[in-house]
Amino acid sequence: MVDQLPNLGREQEMLSAMGMSSIDDLFSDIPEEVRMTATLPLPAPQSEEEILADARRLLGANVPLSERVSFLGAGLYRNFVPSAVFQLVNRGEFLTAYTPYQPEVSQGMLQAMWEYQSMICDLTALPVSNVSVYDASTAAAEAITCSVRVHNRKASQKNTVWVSELLPPEKMSVIRNYCQGSDIILKTLLHTADGHVDLASAQSAAGSCGIYVEQPNCLGILDEGICGLKQIIGTDTALIVAVQPTSLGLIEAPGNYGADIVVGEGQPLGSPLTFGGPIYGIFACTNKYLRQMPGRIVGRSIDGEGREAYCLTLSTREQHIRRHRATSNICTNETLIALMGAIHIAMLGPEGMRDLAIRNMAACQATKQRLAAIQGIAITHGEASHYNEFSITLSAPAADALTFLDNIGIIGGHDLGRWFSSRENELLICATDQTSAADIDALVNGLESWLEVIS
Amino acid sequence: MSHLYGHYGAEGAGYSQPSALLPSTKLNIPSSLRRKELPALPRLSEPEVVRHYTWLSKRNFGIDTGFYPLGSCTMKHNPRVNEVIAQIPGIADIHPLQPEHHLQGLMSIFYEMQVMLATCAGMDAVTLQPVAGAQGEFTAIRCIQEYHRTIGESQRTKVIVPDSAHGTNPASASMAGYDIIEIPSTADGRLDLDALSAAVGDDTAAMMITNPNTLGIFEKNISAAALIVHGAGGQMYYDGANFNAILGKTSPGLMGFDAVHYNLHKTFSQPHGGGGPGSGPIGVKSHLADYLPGPLVGRRVLALNEKSNVSDAWYYNWIEPTKSIGKVQMWHGNSGAVVRSWAFYRRYGNELETMSEHAVLNANYLRHRIMEEAKAAGVSDAFTDGAPVDIVKHEFTLSLLPLKESKGVGAMDIDKGLLDHGYMAPTVYFPLVVPECMMIEPTETESKEVLDAFAESFVKVLAEDAKVLHAAPKSTPVGRVDEVHAARNLWLRHEKGRQS
Repeated sequence: MVDQLPNLGREQEMLSAMGMSSIDDLFSDIPEEVRMTATLPLPAPQSEEEILADARRLLGANVPLSERVSFLGAGLYRNFVPSAVFQLVNRGEFLTAYTPYQPEVSQGMLQAMWEYQSMICDLTALPVSNVSVYDASTAAAEAITCSVRVHNRKASQKNTVWVSELLPPEKMSVIRNYCQGSDIILKTLLHTADGHVDLASAQSAAGSCGIYVEQPNCLGILDEGICGLKQIIGTDTALIVAVQPTSLGLIEAPGNYGADIVVGEGQPLGSPLTFGGPIYGIFACTNKYLRQMPGRIVGRSIDGEGREAYCLTLSTREQHIRRHRATSNICTNETLIALMGAIHIAMLGPEGMRDLAIRNMAACQATKQRLAAIQGIAITHGEASHYNEFSITLSAPAADALTFLDNIGIIGGHDLGRWFSSRENELLICATDQTSAADIDALVNGLESWLEVIS
Repeated sequence: MSHLYGHYGAEGAGYSQPSALLPSTKLNIPSSLRRKELPALPRLSEPEVVRHYTWLSKRNFGIDTGFYPLGSCTMKHNPRVNEVIAQIPGIADIHPLQPEHHLQGLMSIFYEMQVMLATCAGMDAVTLQPVAGAQGEFTAIRCIQEYHRTIGESQRTKVIVPDSAHGTNPASASMAGYDIIEIPSTADGRLDLDALSAAVGDDTAAMMITNPNTLGIFEKNISAAALIVHGAGGQMYYDGANFNAILGKTSPGLMGFDAVHYNLHKTFSQPHGGGGPGSGPIGVKSHLADYLPGPLVGRRVLALNEKSNVSDAWYYNWIEPTKSIGKVQMWHGNSGAVVRSWAFYRRYGNELETMSEHAVLNANYLRHRIMEEAKAAGVSDAFTDGAPVDIVKHEFTLSLLPLKESKGVGAMDIDKGLLDHGYMAPTVYFPLVVPECMMIEPTETESKEVLDAFAESFVKVLAEDAKVLHAAPKSTPVGRVDEVHAARNLWLRHEKGRQS
């Protein structure tokens, strides 16, 4: 028996008020030939207690990273999220609200999102932010299509955007799906052997609609050359930079070196990994892109009595008004997860953001130093500056090392061969504010044991 | 007022962190990449943060606050056990790049959800990857596009949508590169088969439609429509926004659809979070299954001596569809939402039909009670039915055009009046085919008492003085927000010193 229906057992009373005698009367408009005749072949209803027990059994069979020594990042990062974040977002007024179409009774979420926009603007040094898109990959894709809408008219390389070759194939796949409908040509921006953007290749992007790079890139490399890209490509080509938002208390804001659009994965700020979703995509830009950007934007306004009030604004870009001419099809976004990010940033403040970045970077560098000392392991692009992660080159496939480590309870990182076929001997190792000295010891010992086994 | 940017405590006012593994002076940062000035964020201590967001929450209306009859959005109660489950480390703290044997429990839940969703919709294969309804639409349309390309029919460049469709339908198809053909509805708000017949051709890729339609009425001619579209070689796409009305009664598969998206944040109670997250899995018939974004979860019989900590019989594995369109989200979609929706569906199991019955019962009852109350109060001439039908499905529409013409009071004014009675206001001005439209969807989780009280309040608002309604709402944290001012005088972030 199901238990979430207040009118269970009162059907007859309600039906007779309407002059009907049976529930079937309410479905008499469904033609016979399309009616389902049998009961749904599903298990019987369960009580809350039974569901919870099953959930604990099934989810308890998974291996959470907290139960292991883990160096797995590759786009999702475990940072400590203060307890207040979870307590506050679970307030029902936030959790169970819809999109704030009625601003008079949605001031709380509207103001919270306006403040989120403000914090993203402060972190990126750009004047505009939306209230989130789905994730880093869709943010990248939307930034690329947005750059074409803004720059195509003047571009000498029509419909063309240059994209860094150092992108996980999953992200590239999302970008291709979003771009194919408007016939956007995606050209490959090369990287040099040391993992940095090839500035000669960037030169070829001048005259296109945009150039997409990541800071740090998917190998964790912070690339000084990106700071000079705007001078190379000029004002009529958008510089799109994807960031790791936790780095922005320590690493220069892209808006300060000429980025036009900044995107990124918001997850490390405010959200647990949750198997990669729900997470949230950051999207910030300069005013030039404002009317072509995707997603909801909150504006500060006044009510009839001149009181401070907030509402959704610039909606004429959006699907519910503009229909097939909208800048994006996005409707539902990731507001609640962006709110988690906002509360996390609010808890940190400027110095907290800086310290978080230092902890992430220090953990990465400390791990790198220890591994560099192991005979038989080479740090790939070892001279580079790394944030959160770096790659090591092994003498055997990284997949073998991962299996060995897994058997001794260590999640060693990500096999880069899964992303780039030429890197099958490379292991991508991630350290965050949750990485301890003992974790690093365990990884060092584990890799040394593996090296002994294969030697 | 409480302002986040009104708090500037001393340096390091936030929560304190353990020290880093290396001092910052030892970090290898190229000088041009070291941030010169800290971001100009506010500085708050935990007590201030907690009070600020609690204050904000009190200025926000959710289903927990009160009745939320927002048509087309299916704002049903969100069972709290689902939130508890979503915080179990076995979902909250797992990573999509972990090996399969770390993930057997979640993968079994995914498998169960794929099967359940396919079963309810009469489809053959399901992907859980799309993270929102609109993304589900886009994904399914992309699958249809690649299917047509593969079978040598890439001349199919047009997608047909009724004029009553959700805005995301044309926006999603347009993003995939299609031209949109909008066809008019009949006078009673239904699909016009003649207009459809005239619109289809060998350039038709698909038709996108929801059933029950956006007026809350069942398209009786849906099978005939499917015949017309299929006859022209096109595909039928089902927008699952209104799926809550028909579970266990009929299915998109039975109606002749080839692809469908589900809104887990509507039908399956993923909380909408003030705008998201959602989750928009899609289901397809077998001829489209190879095109789905991967990976999907499959399963095989455990080998002899092989053990699983989840099942005595099965090992769950990832399967990549052979002609996949590629990915639409970096990972496996909004898995947290999928787990919540799994917990929700388990509550009903094979009685999901009862859920839809109650959704439809409540909608019809509320519609009846509004008519009854309006008659008793002598205000039944204030509105007309959005569609002249005896029964509706999960929602219904009213046209406030008579009131607009007689008193100058429009649907939006009634909405604002309802806010003063403590209700979330219904959807207005959608679908566009009903003038001064108001769209009401009570869902199955509202009691008869709530519906009775709303009907009474609704009629009271109808009878209110135009002056009062034009000035409404009065009891809310702010009065009517000046949206024109917001758009003309853009103020999109905190700017130090800015006053207006």
